[in-house]
Amino acid sequence: MASSGNKNINAKLVLLGDVGAGKSSLVLRFVKGQFIEFQESTIGAAFFSQTVAVNDATVKFEIWDTAGQERYHSLAPMYYRGAAAAIIVYDITNQASFDRAKKWVQELQAQGNPNMVMALAGNKSDLLDSRKVATEEAQTYANENGLFFMETSAKTATNVNDIFYEIAKRLPRLQQAPNPSGMVLVDRPAERAAAASCCS
Amino acid sequence: MMYGGSGTQSRRDLAIEYQAQIPTLRPSIHARRANMTVKFQDLYGFTVEGNVDDVNVLNEVREKVRQQGKVWWALEAEKGANWYLEGHISTTLKSSLKISSLVNAITLKKLIRGGIPPNLRPRVWFSLSGAAKKKSTVPESYYNDLTSAVEDKVTSATKQIDHDLPRTFPGHPWLDTPEGHAALRRVLVGYSFRDSDVGYCQGLNYVAALLLLVMKTEEEAFWMLAVLLENVLVNDCYTNNLSGCHVEQRVFKDLLTKKCPRIAAHLEALDFDVSLVCTEWFLCLFSKSLPSETTLRVWDVLFYEGAKVLFNVALAIFKINEEKLLMAHQVGDVINIIQRSTHHLFDPDELLTVAFDQIGFMTTTTISKQRKKQEPAVMAELDQRIRRLNSNSNDK
Ligand SMILES: Nc1nc2c(ncn2[C@@H]2O[C@H](COP(=O)(O)OP(=O)(O)O)[C@@H](O)[C@H]2O)c(=O)[nH]1
Ligand SMILES: [Mg+2]
Repeated sequence: MASSGNKNINAKLVLLGDVGAGKSSLVLRFVKGQFIEFQESTIGAAFFSQTVAVNDATVKFEIWDTAGQERYHSLAPMYYRGAAAAIIVYDITNQASFDRAKKWVQELQAQGNPNMVMALAGNKSDLLDSRKVATEEAQTYANENGLFFMETSAKTATNVNDIFYEIAKRLPRLQQAPNPSGMVLVDRPAERAAAASCCS
Repeated sequence: MMYGGSGTQSRRDLAIEYQAQIPTLRPSIHARRANMTVKFQDLYGFTVEGNVDDVNVLNEVREKVRQQGKVWWALEAEKGANWYLEGHISTTLKSSLKISSLVNAITLKKLIRGGIPPNLRPRVWFSLSGAAKKKSTVPESYYNDLTSAVEDKVTSATKQIDHDLPRTFPGHPWLDTPEGHAALRRVLVGYSFRDSDVGYCQGLNYVAALLLLVMKTEEEAFWMLAVLLENVLVNDCYTNNLSGCHVEQRVFKDLLTKKCPRIAAHLEALDFDVSLVCTEWFLCLFSKSLPSETTLRVWDVLFYEGAKVLFNVALAIFKINEEKLLMAHQVGDVINIIQRSTHHLFDPDELLTVAFDQIGFMTTTTISKQRKKQEPAVMAELDQRIRRLNSNSNDK
């Protein structure tokens, strides 16, 4: 229970970004510690949950990994509605995916929750030789738009847990006084650390 | 060897082959004792994970399929090979035949809800769905001409298809082979040129893959896909904004409130949007959620009775889990309940009995009216989103 100063909060998190940027791979790495070259393609969105401990608090992320094909974007509002956090993913070897990421940022800024923690992930950082998007460019964009930025690799696991951890730390509810209204208290350990069955 | 060639030789009965390879599943004593998860192949070659009870259920289903096969064959022996077509197309028949065709129609509806045996599925689906008729309106060489004319073309649709081929039921013993990928590619790419409004939409890869497994020839799978998108499902399910899919979701929410009011109220209180789980069902026609034979039993009815049955089935999934859902207080729990349930619905009758006997009758006309009612709201919502996005990017 939340008696000994421990806070347990649930946080809805959505991943958005171009097809092939590596959203599903990041989630798989974070939730199961795996990397699989060909995962089943996502239809609509897949759901996962994973818990992160931050200081004296436990954050249970309810993660929505959305499908990337353009026409699926009309479904996106249902996944980011009420989300506490978003990771916008692009592929550092693909300039178009960075442009697409900016569009997502705009959309979230226009209609998301103003307190939403937004992270920009430049994924596939292991593919340095084919880099197309400079780190500085992305960092500047992130600073200008109040995003928190990291380059990640789902393949090598670089910065994957870190980005989720950093998001957890930044959740407004963790920084406020304990027990703000509307907070859901969880009094049991996270079930099946990895929700093995995604939305399939 | 080509899987889907047109010669009779290659019309291999995959389902039967799998049955022959794995007669009855016998979980080891070890598995029984430990109640552990075992992996096995189902009727259509998919690897499924389940416990010993699931294996037993699956064995019972195999036996039921065999029994149902006998019923179908007996009817054929009695009434002639294409008797079911008579029940279907009763308009041009003489009055003396009309009574028999009415009897056939009633028999047929019941029989189809009871399931079409896997080895009769290709023939029955092809004629009853209207695919045969659709094919007969174009030259014999249509499919071959189409696929060879477009095989080297590159479009955004073909790129997305190529991306998805290895991600469509990865690990399936036939689908996930170069031969399987090539057949699926021809069907999807061919269709993307037949209807450029649809082009290719993710989700169709799973639908077409399962059609290939059932129909066993590429060409027939292609025509089944065509009849499905052009005649069976609502319009625009898969086009630009998926507007048809948005309409179906709204109709479904109304139906859930009406047919399962307690669940609807409870989920509403949790602020849980049922579309979070249902969208995929409607886009993949359950192929990603239900075990293969259960999915195909839904499709048996879908091709005969129309798209309204998708609502029956979706409602039934909620209904089956009513008590558990009412106890759930978190979004994650709701999703886990639904997913665990769908993945373990190995017995199709368990689902279909609820879908058709407990949910209650809904006519196509009623559903069509509801769709008409929702269309303007969906269009307005989609429009508003686009306008908001545009005005926002102009600001920048
Ligand atoms: N080298 C490399 N490949 C990656 C990485 N993340 C994803 N991929 C590959 O990129 C492709 C698309 O990944 P996926 O997670 O399906 O992207 P999504 O469409 O955004 O969900 C797959 O082939 C992955 O194996 C990464 O960090 N490094
Ligand atoms: Mg994905």
